[in-house]
Amino acid sequence: MSNQYLVEPDVDFIKELEALGGDTLKKCFQCATCSVACPIAPDNNPFPRKEMIAASWGLKDKLVKNEDIWLCHNCGDCTTLCPRGAKPGEVLSAVRSYAITEYATPKAFGKMVNDPKKLPILFLIPVVIFIVLGTLTGLLNFAPGGDEVAHHLFFSTWLVDLIFVPLAIAVAAIFALGVKRFLGDIHENAIQQGRTENKPIDAKAFIKSLISILPTILKHDKFNECGENKERGTSHLLVFYSFVALFVVTNIFFVVLYVFQTHGPYSQLNPVKWLANIAGIALIIGASMMISSRRRNSDQPSGYKDWYLLGLVLGLGVTGMLAEATRLADLAGLSYTIYFLHLVFVFNLFAFLPFSKLAHLVYRTIAMTYSEYTGRK
Amino acid sequence: MTEEKAAPASGSILVVGGGISGLTTALEAAEVGYEVFLVEQNPYLGGRVAQLNQYFPKLCPPTCGLEINFRRLKDNPNVKVITLAEVDSVSGDPGNYDVTLKMKPRFVNENCVACNDCVDACPVERKNSFNFDMDTTKAIYRPFDMSFPMRYVIDESECKGAECAKCVDACKYNAIDLNMEVKTMELNVGAIVWATGWEPYDAKKIDNLGFGQYDNIITNMMLERYASTNGPTAGKIVVPSNGNPPESIAFVQCAGSRDENHLPYCSYICCMASLKHATYIREQYPDAKVYIFYIDLRTPGQRYEKFYKKIKEDENVILIKGKVAEVNEDPVTKQITVVAENAVTGEKIRQKVDMAVLATGMQPTAAGCKLPADLNYTEDGFIINDFEKGGMFAAGCANKPADVVSSNQNATGMALKAIQTLVRR
Repeated sequence: MSNQYLVEPDVDFIKELEALGGDTLKKCFQCATCSVACPIAPDNNPFPRKEMIAASWGLKDKLVKNEDIWLCHNCGDCTTLCPRGAKPGEVLSAVRSYAITEYATPKAFGKMVNDPKKLPILFLIPVVIFIVLGTLTGLLNFAPGGDEVAHHLFFSTWLVDLIFVPLAIAVAAIFALGVKRFLGDIHENAIQQGRTENKPIDAKAFIKSLISILPTILKHDKFNECGENKERGTSHLLVFYSFVALFVVTNIFFVVLYVFQTHGPYSQLNPVKWLANIAGIALIIGASMMISSRRRNSDQPSGYKDWYLLGLVLGLGVTGMLAEATRLADLAGLSYTIYFLHLVFVFNLFAFLPFSKLAHLVYRTIAMTYSEYTGRK
Repeated sequence: MTEEKAAPASGSILVVGGGISGLTTALEAAEVGYEVFLVEQNPYLGGRVAQLNQYFPKLCPPTCGLEINFRRLKDNPNVKVITLAEVDSVSGDPGNYDVTLKMKPRFVNENCVACNDCVDACPVERKNSFNFDMDTTKAIYRPFDMSFPMRYVIDESECKGAECAKCVDACKYNAIDLNMEVKTMELNVGAIVWATGWEPYDAKKIDNLGFGQYDNIITNMMLERYASTNGPTAGKIVVPSNGNPPESIAFVQCAGSRDENHLPYCSYICCMASLKHATYIREQYPDAKVYIFYIDLRTPGQRYEKFYKKIKEDENVILIKGKVAEVNEDPVTKQITVVAENAVTGEKIRQKVDMAVLATGMQPTAAGCKLPADLNYTEDGFIINDFEKGGMFAAGCANKPADVVSSNQNATGMALKAIQTLVRR
């Protein structure tokens, strides 16, 4: 650490953190109970005590450019033991939310995702894109015929891909830009603190670190170390693997469509369909568990950023399963409407991924990898 | 107004609680000529101060000051000391209160000369609450070696009563009467001073600090008893699990204080107490290491600050800014590991020590049981003084967490307030 450090408090930053759910941050009196209470904080410069003082002082750089805010899994052990009700867990959650907006371009989207008043616009964007593109290309058929209900007759798979493939590329690009800046920042920060050598990140070693932390993520080990809210590990695991499974299913569908020219819907006897159904149900159960635990837990207040994401995840699962159920029940009109809605949810989750709380899947993975890379203990 | 006030108004003062604050209020009022009833629920006077080994910052024994106060009491016919008594009810207004006292039997009358023959005869052991249950006494016992009044007492809950009566036979002075019963007493007083004091916060409630779970974790008040020559180890500070001299001791400051989950306020005395305890240990064991883990060291005022500075120079006293939030026990050696983050260096510390002392704070007695009078309390159970209304006042730690000096100053002030109530009657 450099011997002299000019403290430049950013008062607006403090206010923004307070608005993002960190309104208790000023109660902290630096007793350091939280750093000990945290089951996953490293011994060398543990969090979240140092983050709490940085937040109080409005030291934005010390927080946003700090991988520790991502190592936190928000289990709430620190908040429970905190003698002041300063809720370090919630403050870190607010910092993460701020950091997501900070690293995602364009920032306007980030602001919109965090603003409840902009919610109708977020939903209108896909509706407009679907209708305009669908009408222009003729790939959206408002009077699909046929003996059975098949969603592609109404909303052509070509249209889906026409929208979602470029979207996926855009999302990946936004993340790539964000991650590049993020990784550069945390590396610079670690060098400044003397936690790592002053040389560029070794890509090979970094990827090795990424591989070595994968089991931790896949097994949710960090969640299981938490004392409070232990059941959160289960619900997160359900939602996590549902998304993994649905990602796999979508890719199989994509490959089968383009390579073998075989269209959906698949038979209910097809193993791919089984996987999709199980994942859909697990997604609904997992999201419902998360919602109900957040409603029960008064210690851990939930803000708009939490409800927006949980609402999307639940909505995605419910519309997906309902679209399938109504299709099987031959309720054409209803099924097509729900499918349209389902795609709106998918678009929201997907397009705003780098801007919403869900972006943690990228930043936390990078932070955990970096922490492993620097040998932080 | 130049209206003449007649010299000492009639009426008496009730002081509830015979600790250092109650003693002071009672004596200050009595020594200017007022009749005072001093009521104490224990069989002895002196309260928490009687349990201390030394006062900070002068490091002199409190027994010295207590002795002076007891002397003043003996010499002053204005004070009526009623031990083993509690206030049952209070009615009336400032200047005129009707009070009912409930007095538990002592089973030992004033013939007692404290010869100890009864103790030798008694077959029953009881846990000694004066020493925080760290040793035992017989069912008939002298609370401590300079108890006032200097009379023995029988613990009714342990004594086998008439079927045993060995003490009655052993007593040459006819001082033991196993037939004594609960009595009530009616008083009319003009003013009441509540000096009901404090209880050490129940350390078992702080479940991350292992008290009651691990043998070698004690409280600061227990350490006072260890260090006192009339304590369970005759003044030797030892590791509870094996009785050996400790080579290292950790102090956990703010154990249950300044904590919304326990006592939200600062208990005022614990920092000075732990610094004082460091001197006890350093005196007995010149090589022992003392680790004090704190949030802030609060040593208000010039004299306390000077004391802190002096202790700080001792290289065997290590002060670490960071609250202990986790403790572990080595199952074999029974040593304790305290875990804290050093907030200055940002390192997590796991310090292994022979024993840990929790600096638990003070909880007003009234937090546990509301007093039978029309009083207002803070959320935490401290009595709020209503000087507009007058008549009843709280002194010492019944009013706020305080050290002995401030308690005495406050108690003297409340004696004056009580007198003013009588004069303005």
